[in-house]
Amino acid sequence: MSTPALAISPAIALSDVEVRAGRQPILGPVDLTVTPGEHVLIVGPSGCGKTTLLRTIAGLARPRMGRVALFGELASHGPRLLLTPARRRLGFLFQNGALWPHMSVRKTLDFVMRQAGLPRAERKLRGAELIDLVELTGLERRKPATLSGGEAQRLALARALAVGARIMLLDEPLGPLDAELRQGLLERLQRLQAEFELTILHVTHDPEEARAVSGRTLHMAGGQLVSEELHG
Amino acid sequence: MSRPLFFICLAVFAVAGLAPLGAMSLRLGAEGEALSGLLDSRTLGLLGRTARLGVGAAGIALLLGVPFGYLTGRTDVPGAALWRPLGLVPLILPPLLLAVTWTVLVDLRGATMTTLLMGLSTFPIVALFTAKAAGRIDARREEAALLAGGLRAVIRMELPLLLPPALCGACFAFIFAINDFAVPDYVTSVGPKFNVYADEVYLSWQVDQRDARAVATALPLIALTLISLLPALALRRRGAMATVDSDFQAPLPLRLGRWRLPALLFCLALVTLGAFVPIGRLLYEAGGGRVAWSLEKLQAAFGEALSRCGDNLAASLVFSLAAATLAMPVAFVLGHAIARARWGRLLEVLVVLPIAVPAILFGIGNIALWNNPTTYEFYVGGGLVVVMLAGRFLAFPTLVGAGAVNSLDPRLEEAAELAGASPATRLRRVTAPALAPSLVGGWVMVFVLAMRELDAAILVPAAGRTAMFKMFNAVHFGRDDFVAALALLIVFVTVVPGLLWTLLLGRRLEVLP
Repeated sequence: MSTPALAISPAIALSDVEVRAGRQPILGPVDLTVTPGEHVLIVGPSGCGKTTLLRTIAGLARPRMGRVALFGELASHGPRLLLTPARRRLGFLFQNGALWPHMSVRKTLDFVMRQAGLPRAERKLRGAELIDLVELTGLERRKPATLSGGEAQRLALARALAVGARIMLLDEPLGPLDAELRQGLLERLQRLQAEFELTILHVTHDPEEARAVSGRTLHMAGGQLVSEELHG
Repeated sequence: MSRPLFFICLAVFAVAGLAPLGAMSLRLGAEGEALSGLLDSRTLGLLGRTARLGVGAAGIALLLGVPFGYLTGRTDVPGAALWRPLGLVPLILPPLLLAVTWTVLVDLRGATMTTLLMGLSTFPIVALFTAKAAGRIDARREEAALLAGGLRAVIRMELPLLLPPALCGACFAFIFAINDFAVPDYVTSVGPKFNVYADEVYLSWQVDQRDARAVATALPLIALTLISLLPALALRRRGAMATVDSDFQAPLPLRLGRWRLPALLFCLALVTLGAFVPIGRLLYEAGGGRVAWSLEKLQAAFGEALSRCGDNLAASLVFSLAAATLAMPVAFVLGHAIARARWGRLLEVLVVLPIAVPAILFGIGNIALWNNPTTYEFYVGGGLVVVMLAGRFLAFPTLVGAGAVNSLDPRLEEAAELAGASPATRLRRVTAPALAPSLVGGWVMVFVLAMRELDAAILVPAAGRTAMFKMFNAVHFGRDDFVAALALLIVFVTVVPGLLWTLLLGRRLEVLP
């Protein structure tokens, strides 16, 4: 699956990528190109390799063969990781949030920015901005267990933005939320995408809902990208 | 996983846990004739007797532990929150203390008494495994069974889920029972002879001080322990029914209805047998016993115990604190590797080897390793006791840590990895705080086992300063208020860290592999 020839480097480029679990192929071979600023939906039945695709791009799953490049930089070549997950500068929104249960909202963001080496004063300032951006003001001291589903996902979103992500990988993050919250979060994502020039790869079970904010939908089956649908 | 950190921890484990085993094996290789007569009829008879003791103790532990663990962990039995910690007392009490008190109260001796005592001492292991497994059954599964057929359906649905972890606990009970030396030794000292394999290992070393002979003698016991450890490890993996993620719904206590009173009586009876009676009996003896019990005498006995054995208690405390503190970080890193690395299962087998050998043999291995001119200063000092205790018990916190890491959603660590946290930072800032109850539980476990350790320590010079060693000698030379007071002081010191953690901080402890 690829878009027309590009003058600039694609945000994500996969060529001939294959991932196996033992001897069993669970993804690929897959070719995929995503241009910067695109919002691409990925749909398909359970177990078809959607999450593995995201994890491979993130560097959390190692391909057996093929190349993964991010913004023109080779991130992995075969099983060799040339860019560690941390150096890929991408945000990952997990299905259940995967929030750290012992860290408050503020500490979660502070922890992430500290890993990037930001000085304390800057972390404080940027943390406040992010909290404001995802509308968690007043909840800074709360831990994930005391947040509602929507608040928890907004924190996960802020955490992903705190790494200075250029690419956002969404692994069905809206699934557990009700329709109103899902819509709210999608609109927020759209605004953030424009503001931060994010490239979004979005795994979803409900493509209709996200159709309005995305440019195309890729259909997966049996570990392969089988068809593509451009949105008008 | 941070490789430098992992290799440092592996090196610590290799020195403390594996090197003594290696030293023993080398001695055995040097004296090949030590293996002669290993499978004669006397040895086989002894092995059979020891295996029967283990099976009997594990059976009792299973019979008592499964209902106790389920009732106190999952049902609305009155006082469950009280019975849960009290049910741990028999495990915390050194088995020798149970033997010392129950042999006075009951006229049973020999195999029956030893089996009952070891069953009573180890049932909390099965109870803990059962309670933990029951607490991990998702509420929705249980509700589905409840709707299908009430309490009976719930129990039928849950029993197959509880049995593997309960059997895993029973395997550990078996291992504790067949490797115990102090209880059969004491029961023999107050009645007809009942020698088991651990006695034989000790005697074979004591008679001619030839460690190769002792190692050779212990080989069948090691085989027996390994045979029970391998299923324990396999069953342990089947214990986790859920991961700690946002989707899990903790079950509510099951309503027992008209079974509440019988359940309460069962729990009360078990706690009475395992905790109230032994401690009550020791208090009674410390206060002067049947002759003239008084508070003044009780006070005087404690005063005497403190003045005569204060140094020993302090030595026990220091050794145990140091061993637990050394073991915990090493165990956490190795446990993480077991849970997450592809070769984790191999490491798991390696880590349990120090508990697969009888404690006495582990002590002999340490002597073989360290008793030479180069390391003599270390051999006679307290450092060896700390290293030996840490090496001996490292397997437990490691398995606790591995179990806890297994139940932690790996995406929590992946999210930190994506944020740029180094492997060491992820362990320290994300994994460790999320698993604090298990880490502290592992620490407490090593501390408790080290405080009550006698069998391995009995041979090492500096361990002669421990309170348990003093008590072992004292009970063989007579029973008086001083011995009872010393025993109570040992119990008190042993439970203090766990109590402080749970009472002052209001946090639970995870002590299961």
